[in-house]
Amino acid sequence: MKFTKEDKILLYRNMVRGRKYDEELVELFAKVKVPGMWHSGIGQEAVGAGAATFLRKDDWLEPTHRGYTFGLAKGVDGKRWLAEHLGRATGFAKGKGGHYVAPKGSGVLPFGGTIGSAFPISAGAGISAKRLGKGQVVVCLFGDGAAQRGTLHESMNLAAVWQLPVVWVCENNLYAVTAHLSQSMAVKDIADLAHGYNMPGVIIDGQDVLAVAEAVMEAVERARAGEGPSLIECKTYRYRNHGEGGAFPTSYRTKEEEEEWKKRDPIVLFRQCLLDEGDATAEELDAIDKELVQEVLEASRWAQESPWPEVGQAFTDLYAD
Amino acid sequence: MREISMREALKEAIREELLRDQTVHIWGESIESKGGGFAICRGLTDEFGERAKDTPLAETAIAGSAVGAAFTGLRPIVEIMFSDFAFVCGDEIFNKMAKARYVYGGQDGFSLPIVVRMKVGGYVSIGAEHSQTPLAPFMHAPGLKIAFPTTPYDAKGLLKTAVRDDNPVMFFEHILHYGARGEVPEEEYLIPFGKARVRREGDDVTVVAIGYMVDLALKIAEEMVQDGVSLEVVDPRTLQPLDMDAIMRSIKKTGRVIFVDEDVTCCGVPAELMARVYERLTEAGKPPVPMARVGAANVPIPYSPPLEKAVLPSPEKIAAAVEKVLV
Repeated sequence: MKFTKEDKILLYRNMVRGRKYDEELVELFAKVKVPGMWHSGIGQEAVGAGAATFLRKDDWLEPTHRGYTFGLAKGVDGKRWLAEHLGRATGFAKGKGGHYVAPKGSGVLPFGGTIGSAFPISAGAGISAKRLGKGQVVVCLFGDGAAQRGTLHESMNLAAVWQLPVVWVCENNLYAVTAHLSQSMAVKDIADLAHGYNMPGVIIDGQDVLAVAEAVMEAVERARAGEGPSLIECKTYRYRNHGEGGAFPTSYRTKEEEEEWKKRDPIVLFRQCLLDEGDATAEELDAIDKELVQEVLEASRWAQESPWPEVGQAFTDLYAD
Repeated sequence: MREISMREALKEAIREELLRDQTVHIWGESIESKGGGFAICRGLTDEFGERAKDTPLAETAIAGSAVGAAFTGLRPIVEIMFSDFAFVCGDEIFNKMAKARYVYGGQDGFSLPIVVRMKVGGYVSIGAEHSQTPLAPFMHAPGLKIAFPTTPYDAKGLLKTAVRDDNPVMFFEHILHYGARGEVPEEEYLIPFGKARVRREGDDVTVVAIGYMVDLALKIAEEMVQDGVSLEVVDPRTLQPLDMDAIMRSIKKTGRVIFVDEDVTCCGVPAELMARVYERLTEAGKPPVPMARVGAANVPIPYSPPLEKAVLPSPEKIAAAVEKVLV
C-alpha cells in the first residue's frame, strides 16, 4: 500500500491519541479514579495504529487488553470508552462491562479478561466475513502471552483449513505479565508458528508504524482476495509494568533493557520520519499534539463528571427479548 | 399423525431453519462426513454446502467461533459431540456466551444468537467422560438458556425456537432418545420456552423429571398404579426459562413433590428447585410440603454396566423417593 501524506499524518495522530489517553489513564489510576485495572500500552502504539488505521469501517478488529490505540484508530469514541472504564452511566455499556467493550458498530470484536479467548472469536468473525461475502477482513491482535494458549492452535488451524480472511497480528512485547518469552515458548520468533498452519509469517519492527501498516495491509488485501490467513509478528516493548498499581515486581527486566527500547520510541521515530520526508513541519506536529492533549483532557473531565449508573442497571440486559 | 424418531425430528428442525434463514449455519465435528456425532445432520451438506460443515476436532474453536460468528451476523448452530466436552470450551460458553449481552449493556439491541447442541446421558457404558448430564453448571451461568426435550415433537418445536432465539441456547439431547419415536405433524410449529408439559396427570405425588428421567418416571408411574399411588409427571422442557408456575400448580394439587435428574445430586438442578419451591411456599405464607430428590450418586459415572446402574437414577430409586414423601 502506498501511503499519502494524509495517511501518514493520520497514523501519527492515531499513535499520539493512543498515547495521550494512555498517559491520562496512568494518571487517573494513580489518583485512584479508575475502579478497576489499567494495562498500559505506552511504547506499543505503532502496532495498534499500524494495524487498525486503514481497515474498512466494516472490517473487524479483535483488540488486546493493553492500551486504547487500536480501538481509537478503528473509530471508537474515546470519551465514552473512558467513561465506561471509569464505570459511568455514559459508557458504552452503562459501566457494566468496563473497558473490555466497544460499540459493535465500530467493528471491534468482543474481548475480555481471559487472555487467548480472542483467537476463536476472531476465527468466528472470519466465518461470517467469508460466508456473508461482503469482502470483510478480521484483524486479530494478540500478545506473546496469549500465544502460549491452546486457543491459538485451534483457531489458527481452523482459519487455515477453512481459508478464513483473518490476519493474526502479534504484539510481542517480550513479557507475559513478568515472564520473559524465553521462559515460556520454545521458539524465539512467534512468526515461526505460521509454518504449522501453512500460512505466511513475517517479523516486523513493531516500533516502525509504517512497516506495521504496510505488512498488515498487505495481509489484509490477501485475505480480502480470498487467499486466506497470515501471521505478522511485531517486535515491540511496553514501557510500563504489566498493570498499574504496584502489584508487579520490576526485577524481571533490567533498567538497561528498558532504556535501550525507549531510544526507539515509535512516536519519536515516526515524527522524525515525517520531518525528514517533508511530510509535516515541527509546528504542524506540535499543533496536533496540543490538540490531542486538549481532546483527552476534555474527554477525561467529561467522563469523570459523568454520573454513576442507577443501581437498577445491575439487573437488566441479561437476555435479549 | 405420522411417527418419526427424535433423530429425524431434530434434522427436520435444522433443515427447515437452514431453508428459512440464510444466516443460519451449522458446524461441528464430522457434520458433513457422518452427520455429526449421532448422525442428526446426515445429508445436510449435500443440500446446503459449506453451511453444514465439518470442523477440526477442536471444541474451543467450535464454541468460540460461534461467539465470533454470532456477533458478526450469522446464527450458528454448533454441535459439541458429548456434553462432557463442553468443559473443554468452558471459557467460550461461560465467560463469553453467557456474559456478552450483559457486559455490553444490551447496547443497540445486542444479541448473540447461538445454539449449542450437546448429547447428554448415561446408561450405555461409555465411561466417565462420555456419560454425564451436566445441567447444573449451565443453569448456574446467568445469560444462557437451556432446553432439554423428551419427545420428537418437543425436540423439533424447541430446536426451531432455539434457532430463532437471540440468546445463546444450550440444547441437550439424550443419547437414549435419538431413536425414540413419536407423533410429529408435517406442518410447521414452534414450542415456546418456559412452558412445562404435564406428561401424566395424577393426584398423590408430583414428579418433576428432567430429560430422560421423564421416561423412567412414566414407567414407574404405570407400575405404581397397582399400589394405588397416582403420580403426576411434569416435564419442564426448558430449565432457563423455567416454568415454576406449572410446578407449583401441580404441587398445589398433590401436596408432595420429588425431583428427578440424571446429573450428580450435589448442587444439582433438583437442589435448586427444592429451594425455589420452599421459597414460593413460605413467601405465600404456606407450610412446606414433603420433598425428595433423585439424582446420580456423587461419583463419576463408572464404566462397568452393574456399577453404572448402581450410580444412575432408576425407576426403583424414583419409587423409593415416592414412598419417602408419601409417609
